[in-house]
Formats: sequence, structure tokens, C-alpha cells
Amino acid sequence: MAHTVASFDEDLRQISQLIRDMGDLAGSMVGASTKALLNSDNAMAQRVVSDDAIMDARQRELDDRAITLIAKRQPMADDLRSVVGAIRMAGDLERIGDLAKNIAKRVGSVGVSAAPRDLSHSIDSMAQLVLIQVQGVIEEYTAGDATALAKLRNDDERVDVKYTSVFRELLTYMMEDPRNITACTHLLFCAKNLERIGDHVTNIAENAYYVLTGTQLPANRPKQDETAMPAPAA
Amino acid sequence: MKPMLSTDLNVADVVVEKAKIEVKNLNFYYGQSKALKDINLSLPERSVTAFIGPSGCGKSTLLRVLNRIYELYPKQTAEGQVLLDGKNILDRSQDLNLLRTKIGMVFQKPTPFPMSIYENIAFGVRLYEKISKAEMDNRVEQALKRAALWNEVKDKLNASGQSLSGGQQQRLCIARTVAVKPEVILLDEPASALDPLSTAKIEELIDELQADYTIVIVTHNMQQAARVSRQTAFMYLGELVEFDRTEKIFTSPREKRTQDYITGRFG
Repeated sequence: MAHTVASFDEDLRQISQLIRDMGDLAGSMVGASTKALLNSDNAMAQRVVSDDAIMDARQRELDDRAITLIAKRQPMADDLRSVVGAIRMAGDLERIGDLAKNIAKRVGSVGVSAAPRDLSHSIDSMAQLVLIQVQGVIEEYTAGDATALAKLRNDDERVDVKYTSVFRELLTYMMEDPRNITACTHLLFCAKNLERIGDHVTNIAENAYYVLTGTQLPANRPKQDETAMPAPAA
Repeated sequence: MKPMLSTDLNVADVVVEKAKIEVKNLNFYYGQSKALKDINLSLPERSVTAFIGPSGCGKSTLLRVLNRIYELYPKQTAEGQVLLDGKNILDRSQDLNLLRTKIGMVFQKPTPFPMSIYENIAFGVRLYEKISKAEMDNRVEQALKRAALWNEVKDKLNASGQSLSGGQQQRLCIARTVAVKPEVILLDEPASALDPLSTAKIEELIDELQADYTIVIVTHNMQQAARVSRQTAFMYLGELVEFDRTEKIFTSPREKRTQDYITGRFG
């Protein structure tokens, strides 16, 4: 049902449009940065770096609009949840942009030493997985599908599993030949960035779920990142 | 979703440790027209409960039933029970004067009597109690302090109550209500005619008074209900639609009608 004051609907629509735009931009930045990494494409990497400025500008615009809406309209219930949720989701999307930019900035350093694609096959499939998560979360939020959001949040587990295997793979390459260390260390940071992007998607899914339902998802979700655990005794 | 019947509503998250007032199966009529439909509600002791809803939803009517002030008007009848500490106040044997000392009321428009500030308060006390001048002075001072008005009027207690500003007049009315030592205070849009600063003072006062009194407030100002009350009842077309903790009502109400109303989609 529409608000009695029609301009209130328009204000809310603009905020949710900004979230969709930021979500689309985040998806394209993540996709382009990993593609640039795997293909040693410096031009594409440069575009990701400049896209980050657009992402930051969108976030500032969203903050302005959300704060103004709260001051002007004093939203309640689902309106309040969607405005506060948008502020928080924008924060996570902006961080996803930063992390994608960081991957893009490493393209030059990795590219000169060896063909990254040969070094890490799993980083490619990890990137695909993360990209699906980034694109999915905004789609499900726009569609208002809380059940899909809850599932998507748990799917981050798969990203964590992938990260663990990339970590091990890169470690093996470094042990095999010390000349791989520079490239592999950069790739390891890239993989870590992808894993962090997955965590931000999880936050967005949790926020979106709360916006849609008014209830919080349970605090604990499955965690599969084992790289920070102590190695078993030999 | 099937709308919840008002009779199912007391299972909500409102934890009523001790109900000061229990409304049971209450129906109210203006002549033939039914203004309240089977209301069931428990108002916790020493706590603020807000009634919200669009004009004509029955919230003021419900408030007016709680001290039977509706009986001043012809052809208005209430059916069902309103239990104050377990005793039905709708019972014919209920002494109305006694009831109204226990349940005080403050109206939308400040209603100071055309007499001095001092007399505005002493007048009500004298109706029920015989006390010495010194005791009365003390009672007036305490009531004015309770209503956060003392500092502003202590040097002009003999000035007319009507010479005060709107916000001060409203606090004088609250002082007058408090002076007769009620147990429940009913506030019908107490701040709707006041400027923001006076409104803030009234809200601060409500916050302090709830330590000692059970307070029921009717307000059209949603933010005010959210700020001052611990539980909120949303009414629509004479029905109690939803009754829950105030935070719940204003962040994630269960009923669509509640959500549509508080977000400004109808009403």
C-alpha cells in the first residue's frame, strides 16, 4: 500500500534504487577485478580502481538521502527498517568495492612474475562463487525473498571452504619453488579479499533479512575457514 | 494472514507482572452505535500505556470508560468489565467520586479553574480531605514540584491559573490531578496543543510519574507514543488490533493494519 504522502514513497524508492545501483557496481567490480587478475589485464584493473570512486560517491549520496529522510519523515516499522538497513548495506557494499579495488591494484605485481592462471586454478572458481553471492544478495533483496537470503548467508560456508583450499594450494606452490613467493603472496591477499567480500555479502544478507521480516537470523552460522586454525601435530 | 481477534491479543509479549486495570469483553455504545467492540486488555501497574489509532477508532472512548466520565453524557453505555485492582468499576455500586480520585484525567486543552494557582490545586484536595493550612501548603508545593512547575510559579501562587502559558497550564492540570493522590492518570492528547519545549517537559514529567502511577496516554503523535510508553495498543474501528511492547509495535508490528497506520499508509 502506498503512503498517504506520495513523496515519501519517492524518497524510499530513490534509496532502494541506490542500493541496487551499488549492488550492481559491486558485482561488476568484483567480476572485473578477478578477470583482470587472471588475464593480467592492467587496463581492466585500472577501470576497477576508478569505479571505486563512483561507489564511494553513491554511498555518500545514500547516507545523505537516508539521514534527510529520517529527519523529515520519522519513518516507522518496515520503513524504518529499510532506511537503517540501507545505510548498513551501503557500508558493506562500499567495503566490497574497496576490496575489489585492492585486488585490481595487485594485478601489476602478480602479472609480471608468472601466469596467475597457471598458479591458481581454484582462485578462479572461488571468484565465480563470490560473484554469484554478490549478485544474488541484491537480487534476493529486491525480490523480497527472505528464505533465499537466509540460504545465501549460509552459502558463504562454500566460499570459506574454497578459501582454505586456495590457501593450501598457494602454500604448496611457494614451497615447490621460492620464485613463486611474490606472486603467490599477492594471490593469497587476493583470495583473502574475496573471502572478506563473502563476509560482507553475509552481513548484507542478514540486514536484508531483518529489513524484510523484522526478525534477526540466528547469530551463529557455519564457519569453514580453517586457515586460522593451528596445524595438526605431525 | 488471518487478522488476530482482539480476544487473542493478551498472549502478546507484554509482560504484565501486576495488572492495575483489566478490561474484559468491553463493548461501548453511543446510543445505537457501537464504538468499542469486545475489548480485552491488561494495563500493567506503574507503567505507561499508549493508545494510538486514527480519529474515531475508539481510543479516547476507551480512555473515557476507564474513569466513567462518559456518564456525564446521556445515552452512552458500557458493557463488560473494567477491573481496577480486581474490582469492577462499571458496577452500579461504584462510588463515582471515589473512582475519580483514584483515576485522574488530563485533557487535550488545559482546563485551569478561574482561580489562583494555589486554589486550582487546593480546590480538589478540599473536596475529599480536611487538612490544616500548613498541610495544604505542603500538598500544593509537592504537587507543583511533582509536575515540574514549582520553580516557575512559587513566587506567584496567588496569580490566576489562567495567566500561565499553555504548557504551564497543562502542567498545572497535572499537578491538580496528582494532588488528590490518584493511582492511575489518564492523559488525553496532553501535549497536542503545546510547543515542542512544553511537550518535552510534559514527556519528561510522564517519565518521572510512571515510578508512582499507572499512566494511560492517548496520542496522535506516533513518535510521542514511541518515546513515552512501555506498551502500545493500536485501535481501529472500535477494535483493539494489536497490543504489544512499544519497541515491537514501532519496529516490527505483527498486524498489517498496524504497520500501514504507523508508517502513514492510511488513517
